[in-house]
Amino acid sequence: MSLIEPIQFATLVVLVLNALGVAALIILKAINRSRRRRAEARKRSHMRLISRHVAFEHSTDPVPAKAATDPAFIDALIDVRNALAGSDLEKLERLVARHGVVDELVSDLRRSFPKVKRLRAAMALAELADDEAVPVLLEHLDDREPEIRVQAARGLGRMKWTPAIDAIVARFGMETPWVRARFADTLIGFGSAATWPLVAYVTVNHRHETAGPVAAIRTLAAIGDDEAVKPLIEVLHAGADPEVAIAVIEALGHLENPMAAPVLRSATRDADWRIRAKAVTALGLLADTESLEDLAAALHDPEWWVRRNAAAALGVIPGGLDRLYEALTGRDHPASEAAIEALVDIGELAAARARIEEGNGRTRDHDLISVAEAGR
Amino acid sequence: MTWARVLEWLGYGVLVYFIAMQAYILGLNLISTWALRRDHHLNRFGRVTEMLSSRTTPPVSIVIPAYNEVVGIVDSVRSMSLLKYPRIEIVIANDGSTDGTLEALIDAFKLEKVSIPYRAEVATAPVRAIYRGRGAVDITVIDKENGGRADALNAGLNAARYPYVLCTDADVIFEGDALMRAMTRVVEDRERTVAVGGNIRPINGSPVDLGHLVKAEVPKKLIPRMQMLEYLRTFLAARPAWSAMNALPLVSGAFGIWKRSAAIEVGGFTPGHMGEDMDMTMRLHRHHLKNRIPYRIVYEPTAVVWTEVPETVRVLRRQRIRWHRGLIQAVREFLPMTFNPRYKVVGMLTWAANVLFEFIAPIIEFAGWFIIPLAWFLGVLNVEAFVWLLLLAFGMGLLNTLNALLLDESYGYFDTKTDTARLLVMALIENFGFRQLTVWWRIRAMLGGAAVKSWGNMERRGFVRSVSPPQAPPASSASRP
Repeated sequence: MSLIEPIQFATLVVLVLNALGVAALIILKAINRSRRRRAEARKRSHMRLISRHVAFEHSTDPVPAKAATDPAFIDALIDVRNALAGSDLEKLERLVARHGVVDELVSDLRRSFPKVKRLRAAMALAELADDEAVPVLLEHLDDREPEIRVQAARGLGRMKWTPAIDAIVARFGMETPWVRARFADTLIGFGSAATWPLVAYVTVNHRHETAGPVAAIRTLAAIGDDEAVKPLIEVLHAGADPEVAIAVIEALGHLENPMAAPVLRSATRDADWRIRAKAVTALGLLADTESLEDLAAALHDPEWWVRRNAAAALGVIPGGLDRLYEALTGRDHPASEAAIEALVDIGELAAARARIEEGNGRTRDHDLISVAEAGR
Repeated sequence: MTWARVLEWLGYGVLVYFIAMQAYILGLNLISTWALRRDHHLNRFGRVTEMLSSRTTPPVSIVIPAYNEVVGIVDSVRSMSLLKYPRIEIVIANDGSTDGTLEALIDAFKLEKVSIPYRAEVATAPVRAIYRGRGAVDITVIDKENGGRADALNAGLNAARYPYVLCTDADVIFEGDALMRAMTRVVEDRERTVAVGGNIRPINGSPVDLGHLVKAEVPKKLIPRMQMLEYLRTFLAARPAWSAMNALPLVSGAFGIWKRSAAIEVGGFTPGHMGEDMDMTMRLHRHHLKNRIPYRIVYEPTAVVWTEVPETVRVLRRQRIRWHRGLIQAVREFLPMTFNPRYKVVGMLTWAANVLFEFIAPIIEFAGWFIIPLAWFLGVLNVEAFVWLLLLAFGMGLLNTLNALLLDESYGYFDTKTDTARLLVMALIENFGFRQLTVWWRIRAMLGGAAVKSWGNMERRGFVRSVSPPQAPPASSASRP
């Protein structure tokens, strides 16, 4: 066989594919254009219809027979739901129940495919947050699709279905970082109801794994419940893994409970600079005046991050400003650099200028300006 | 062996090369299509909204290197400060601008000169001063002596305070949720993700208002329109495939998010490198694969940034020569990775393909301009086979473009019939003239001459404003020397 024949054949195939490609592109663009327009129009009309049914519960405007299976109707329902509260919301929930929307979505979610339809159903169930969907959402916390697990947890969170907390926390260690982060968002929404399940999870698991407990500790910090302070201090005393210890120190700072101050002060002398750096920041968040000495000492730390964080902490603690000015004109150059950055960040430079302009300038205002403008 | 015989064997060699190249492009198209289909549904289901309201979203430092960008820098910084993202800081590295870029920034953002610590974890040209402003978003300007784009990026890396750094240009327009979309890839796997690349699209001819794109339109001028097809092919029909294989050879400089610690660990950007983005991407691959550290470098097609592309042949020529010189530098540096199984898919496939089909292809195509007439003159050219082969090459190129256009359709940017017609006509004609010019420029880049500075020579025409007349002087004054 000569070489030309296969080339001719390949060329003809490619040219036919090109012709099909051009046709597909033209048709697809036309279809998408009209689909987008129709979908928008349908959604607008559904929104009007749903609003009328909410305003007049016995409205005679007919809801289309297949509304529960129409994505535009579901989208409209979600948009209207997110704008309602109180008795209007109850009316909407009755409308949802009358037309079997939740049942339809549950059946879509229970299918094995297509994925997009399942995802859309999970998201709609999460948005509608209807109690009827609780069993199916609990079931799908174990779904093979990560995004469906996320939506299942989100839905349960939106309903504030507290029995789901344990099931969500139990999955922390085995989930991907993305799903874990979204689960954390859901647990934060539960508020203090999630504190003890998270504390129990951290206490049991911090010796065996890192990622799950670290995420759980960060979630506790975001929830902001003081009940978590004591158990977290105990985790720190138990000689936690450095990553866990860092997360605990960070959380203790965010919880802003003075009970944590002694343990944080001792952490400013830890061998690991990352722990020292987090500890000084946490002390700043606590605004603990008894820590001034420890923070002033940390300005002379060999590690840059520790000095920088200590200076920032001194900038927000009553009495810390004096320590920063002392460091500014002191002989330790790195400490002076950290102090100037913190003073600039808290707006002290501008304030010093203003005082001088008003004729109330103090010696240290002049010192600050001369150091700040010294240039490089 | 006669000359005729040599030419005949050369022809077979080129045929094998052609088949390998087309198979590679076809493979990339198929994998990209699969990867985009796989991820497309995720982006429609609230991932961005969830990230925006989450307290676990990591903060980002935006680093903008600037050299003589007085015309657009203030608008650009303002536009970036409005990005939908919970916590950002903006670090501008002024690389010894002489056109008043620094003064414009000081005036616009009420910056104050401060003597704060600057940690040179990566060596840079001397820093002259640091300015800081405290508005809704923290802005830091590092005023340094001229050292080129890579050097300015390194200064930005040094000054950045957050763990992830978005390196970009001073003349781009981000879609509001672009950073958030790119960062979803970081949150997916924060431990392993060392870089994320975004999707770059040409903005020429599209109306812009107050630093925001009003409506995406296909450029009316031919040169930007041809580049639009190139960008679509690269960002939709190739990068998703490389990303799916964790073998992305390039995170583009206009939209690259880097894990700060990883970028510093490999020594920062290489000063003087013409393709510092490719160099950094490849060094990250090399470092992690050599030391067997788990990592991933990913591309996010829905994270879109719009940039002005050259509108004249002169500017385009300079840009292409600079790009190809960057590739040549990278090929030299990473040659030991080529076909080296130690570097897995990166060494065995993407980098090898980059060397074979990006670096060598122009040489073969250029040689063809002389060898084919010679073969015809010597009577050894099978004219019929040649014509069919040419048609096949044209068809394969068109198929690649059509696939990119079909993939682009799911994003719904170009909606009108005129846009469709413009893109299709351009897909048909781009092989006649434009392709040959780019081959010639690549050869020029290999031969040397036409000195190109590392900051490039892009002349800005300015964005098309949709409402108000331009506030700034004509953009042509923004040319980089």
